[in-house]
Order: sequence, then C-alpha cells, then structure tokens
Amino acid sequence: MIAQQIINAVSLGGVYALLALGLAIVFSIVGLINFAHGELMTLSGYALLASLVLGFPFPVAVLVAVSCGALAAVAMERIAFRPMRGASVTSLLLTSFAVSSLLKVVFQNGISARPQAVAMPGWMTGAFSFGDFTIGVGPSISIVVSALALIALEVFLRRSVTGTAMRAAAEDFDVVRLMGIPASRIIATAFLLSGLLAGLAAMLWVAQRASVDPLMGFTPVLKAFIAAVVGGLGSLPGAVAGGFLLGIIEVLLQATLPGAIAPYRDAIVLSGVIAVLLVRPQGLIPAVRAQRS
Amino acid sequence: MLSVEALKIRYGEVEAVRRVDLTVGSGEIIALVGANGAGKSSTLGAVAGLVPAASGKVVFDGVDITGLAPEAIARKGVALVPEGRRIFASLTVADNLRLGGAVHQPAAEARLREEEMLELFPILRRYHRVKGGNLSGGEQQMLAIARALMGKPRMILLDEPSLGLAPQLIDTVFDLIAELRRKGLTILLVEQNVALALEIADRAVVLANGEVVLSGTAKELASSDLVRQAYLGA
Repeated sequence: MIAQQIINAVSLGGVYALLALGLAIVFSIVGLINFAHGELMTLSGYALLASLVLGFPFPVAVLVAVSCGALAAVAMERIAFRPMRGASVTSLLLTSFAVSSLLKVVFQNGISARPQAVAMPGWMTGAFSFGDFTIGVGPSISIVVSALALIALEVFLRRSVTGTAMRAAAEDFDVVRLMGIPASRIIATAFLLSGLLAGLAAMLWVAQRASVDPLMGFTPVLKAFIAAVVGGLGSLPGAVAGGFLLGIIEVLLQATLPGAIAPYRDAIVLSGVIAVLLVRPQGLIPAVRAQRS
Repeated sequence: MLSVEALKIRYGEVEAVRRVDLTVGSGEIIALVGANGAGKSSTLGAVAGLVPAASGKVVFDGVDITGLAPEAIARKGVALVPEGRRIFASLTVADNLRLGGAVHQPAAEARLREEEMLELFPILRRYHRVKGGNLSGGEQQMLAIARALMGKPRMILLDEPSLGLAPQLIDTVFDLIAELRRKGLTILLVEQNVALALEIADRAVVLANGEVVLSGTAKELASSDLVRQAYLGA
C-alpha cells in the first residue's frame, strides 16, 4: 500500500514537473507565463483520440499526439506571441489568456463540451506484483517517461549549442544575439520544447483517465504554475523540484488526511506554498538573471 | 571599413545622440571619448544593432547595416564587447567561448579557434571549467574579449574595457588591444580614460552632449587645449 502511494506520488509529481518545466523554459527566455500551456496539453489529448479513431497503432498515435503539441506551441508563438515581442509582461499575459480562452471555445464548439473516451490499450490499466506489492503499470510508465524526458532535456541543454544558447539567453538575451545566434531560433526552440513536454504530460494524464475534455489542461497546468513559482519562476531545476514536491505532497495528503479534512487538501497545499514563499520569495532554487542597471 | 553618418538616437523624448559622424579605416584603432552620458555607448549600440537609430546611417564594408538585427550584424563580422562585460555568469568559461564562435564557423574550426584563444589568454585555460560568474573582473574582461574574438570578427567594438579594473589589469587589457591591432583587427574603442585611449588610438573622436565636438589624430588631440583641459586634467 505504501509502495503504491509512493509510486502514485512520484508519477503525479513527474507530470507536474514536465508541465512546470515547459512553463519555466518559455518564461526564462521570453518572460511570458503561458497560460495557454494547458490547451497544448488538451490539443495533444484530442490528437491522440483522433489518431486512435483513425486506426493508427498506439505508438504511432502517441507520436502524432506529442508532435501535435510541439508544433502547436511553435505555431502559437508565431501567430500570437511574435507580434507581441517586446511588449510588457501584462500584455503578454493577457495574450496568453486570450489564446487559452479561444482554444477552449474551439474545443467545446468544434468537438464537444463533454469528455470523450480514449481507448487506451488494456495493458496500461494492468498491474504487476512482486511479493506483497502491487504496482500499477500506468504510474510506472509515467515515472519512466518523466525521468527519460528530464534526462534528455538536461543533455540537450548542456551538450548542444542551441541548448547552451538557451541557458545563456535566460541570463542575457541581447548578448546571445551579439554572438550571431538568431533570437527567433532560440524562442522557437523554447516553445517547441515546452510543447513537447506538454504533449508528453498529456499522454501520461490521459493514460490515467482514459478521456479527453476541453478543460483537461486547466487543473494540471495551474498546479504546474504553482510548482514553477515554488521552485523559483524561470529556474529549470526549480520547476522540476517544485513539480515533484507538489505531486508528492498532494498524494501523501490524499492518503493520510482523515475523511473530514480531505476536502481541504488544496487549501492545505496552497498554505504550504505561501509559507515557502514567505521564507524564500525567489523560490526554492532561484533563477540566475544578469543584474544590470 | 565602418562609417557612421549623421547618426541620431532617441530614447523616448531624450535625444541621447544628436549627430555623430565617424569613419574607421581597416586596421585602425579609433577612440571614441567623452564624459559620461555623451552618447558613446549608444553609438556603439547602434553600430551593433542593439539600439535603434532614429535617423542616419551605419555602413560596414559598403553595406548599409542600419536597422539590421544584432545577430545579422554579428554575422557580418562586427563584434561588440559590451560595457560591464556581460559574460554568462552561470555558464562555464568553455561554454561562454563556445557560444562566441558557434555560428561563424564549422565546429572543428571553432575548436581550433578556441585553442588559439586559450593560447592568447592562458588564464582562461586555467579556469576552463569554472563558471564565468566566479571569475574576477579582469578575468571576466579577458573572457568577454576572447568570446567576441571566437567568431573571428573583422572589427571589434570595445565598450569601456578598463571600467572597474585595477591599474595593472588595465595595462594588461590595453597591451592586448595593441596586440590585436598588430594582428590586423580593426577596433572602435569607447573609453572614459582619455589619456589611455589617446595613447593607443590612431585617431579619436570627442563626443559631448551627443555631438562630435572634436576629431583628429590621437597626437593632435592629446596636445589640443580643449582635450587637455576637459579630459586630461592639465
């Protein structure tokens, strides 16, 4: 039972971490908190549904869905955010709200306001047991996928020139441009990565629920936003730490709170967030930014 | 090689640069001197594409580069070493250098270039794996110059390289600038330390309140009454 709860906690934390990381990558480069990030997730969910309905094999459908998330993120930047480049943080924030609302309405009116069932393969809902432990296949896959995605991202950011340039741009974008590295390449890559992470998170989210609805992305991305703030907005290690912390605390409270207090779980979690921010206003692992006059 | 014609720069209502004309010939060191707020850094910023020109023209190698993005100007072979160095503090010395040469040459060539830079700046070899933010001011200035040189620029714009450095370090930096010039690099140098700038430059341009008030060879300016009184304290 405890093992099962730990697996659930880490698996939920992993999804939050992927989403928080997507928000943090974009924020660190363009200073935008992309509230339409949740809709990237929803879109990937619908893409998975459509691919399965069209009869694609499951792995292909997942590939299509994740790619859709990544491409949608790049398109979002081109269409909505690029014309706003250099605008104030507030204008960018409002733009992202507008994109988010627009996409939600498109999903509701274009597809359906009601949840659509997604036919996940049977083995995903199974469980394997060794000794006294029974561990769900879904959460285990979720942990493995999150871990692999985090490692791959780390390698990309450390080893590749574009990744190194992205870390540098988070610190001082103008100087990166002085090195001859195009701003649009850095920004497009940031959105591509955030969309990729949102797509992966969507797969893990849908795998646990086997349905998609127009508001699917809202709650997890709100949680991811909280995780990113707790971790230190714009800090990538902070986003990962915040994501896991939030997931683990949620599941632990869920498992241990007595029935009468259980409805207050989110209130308790958010009080914890306030406490953390009072002690560390910059978050757990603050982002590095150039200090300039 | 570079000519700036009737450049005007505005920040909102404030005219930072009223009118600047200057030319830099191939292989020359031109010093751009003047008091704080005279418009020196803004002028360099406009040449590098970081600051938009309100009017006027910047021509590099016969091509009008006014209004081009900074990355496009960098690719044409103009490198700016910005004021305050602005090295990437969270990146290692190696990564700072790598970014400097990333888009200008194939990877193999960039590695050779990095080796040249480590020969030129032995201190950077010693701190190769150290984060830029942990270097001292002088070391960061070396790194900033080396990073700019990684892209094999034909012209380098230096903004206040002596600022905040100890006197011996200033000498080291200026010896280095002289050496770069001997190797054929064209240099536009912005400097508040006028005596030092006139020592190293071929020609100099004096800015005051966003306008050119005096220009000529470094020797002429060093002996001009205006410069001696206003900037050299004689």
